[in-house]
Amino acid sequence: LPTGLSQWFPALEVLDVSGTGLAELGAELLALPRLHTLLAKNNRLGGPGSLPKGLGQAPLGRSLRVLNLSGNRFAEVPPALLGLRGLQSLSLGGNRLHGIPPDIQELRSLEFLYLGGNFITSIPPELANLPSLNYLVLCDNKIQSIPPQLAQLHSLRSLSLHNNLLTYLPREIINLVHLEELSLRGNPLVVRFVRDLTYNPPSLQELAGRTIKTRNVPYAPSDLPENLVRYLSLASNCPNPKCGGVYFDSCVRQIKFVDFCGKYRLPLMHYLCSPECSSPCSSASQSSTSQSESDSEDEASVAARRMQKVLLG
Amino acid sequence: FRYTRNLVDNGNGKFNLMILCWGEGHGSSIHDHTDSHCFMKILQGNLKETLFEWPEKKGNDSIGLHRVENISHTESAVSLHLYSPPFDSCNTFDQRTGHKHKVKMTFYSQFGERTLC
Repeated sequence: LPTGLSQWFPALEVLDVSGTGLAELGAELLALPRLHTLLAKNNRLGGPGSLPKGLGQAPLGRSLRVLNLSGNRFAEVPPALLGLRGLQSLSLGGNRLHGIPPDIQELRSLEFLYLGGNFITSIPPELANLPSLNYLVLCDNKIQSIPPQLAQLHSLRSLSLHNNLLTYLPREIINLVHLEELSLRGNPLVVRFVRDLTYNPPSLQELAGRTIKTRNVPYAPSDLPENLVRYLSLASNCPNPKCGGVYFDSCVRQIKFVDFCGKYRLPLMHYLCSPECSSPCSSASQSSTSQSESDSEDEASVAARRMQKVLLG
Repeated sequence: FRYTRNLVDNGNGKFNLMILCWGEGHGSSIHDHTDSHCFMKILQGNLKETLFEWPEKKGNDSIGLHRVENISHTESAVSLHLYSPPFDSCNTFDQRTGHKHKVKMTFYSQFGERTLC
């Protein structure tokens, strides 16, 4: 781009240099104080120096609201753009990203994040710290699991996860109350997990600890070695509302199907204290009986009805 | 945040002519066309159509079931659709189970005016 750009067009607000073969966006852009939309799709950006140094501190860094870098060759999210605290919309679709940096949380104003069509394998929990995120696209990647922290994205309205490698979702996903759209097709949601789940039986120490807790056996710190007192204080409550049990280290990872009128069965990951805590037919994951449906209703009746509209809409 | 259906003309009740706008990555569910004829033309960009067999091999709709998607991550797409007779609901199908579910279809805009609901 010509070096005189910011002197000739100081009032420039929208710049589209898509499909021009650019290999770098240079410092000539930094002094454009009114530029809020920069479109640079389908170029040859991606190497070091693709974005100008000092972007976050420059006039451009304060004005930029929309940045589209889709269809380039970025192998990582360029650190230079993480300083764009006013950025509302970022697209890095169709690049070569293998991951998302935790510092993505620095983009405090981000509402729209498009990362579809990359090679991303996992999502950092820090992504959930973006307070204004409405629209998150992660389709066509290699994602194997969603961190439960993503349920903290209270403002999320649309989540695109289709064509990934997900076998289950965290049950907290039901807490996304404002979610209007969720795409899940093209994930191995049912078949894989049945083969992979294992259960390690609890140790004698664990069984003793569970008995003490559930039967309220009284004890004082002077009765036990300090390490056992500490161990007993770490009991977790079994999330199954029908079971009053606790567990320490040994828990069952169970996939519970939240069933939406037999139309869509969403496998959600639960942690339970024992296989007996699960509903009788959960091991027969393919079939849907009234027992598992009523369990599902207990677990998340209101939220499930909301999710039903999301999935079938 | 998903593809929009924008009604252009309703032909005195005989047909629906509409423009569909697909953002990057937007796709439809697997659906039928409830016994209506359907014509489609691409106005901008590219769309991918995947055809599916009927779950019980009913086969009375010779085109069958399909899913339409904009698989581009960089370009949006626009298509023109003509349905005769018009319909406001169709069946969507779960790809894994074959279960069908009737859904009402809505317009994002009609004759250039935003439809709110």
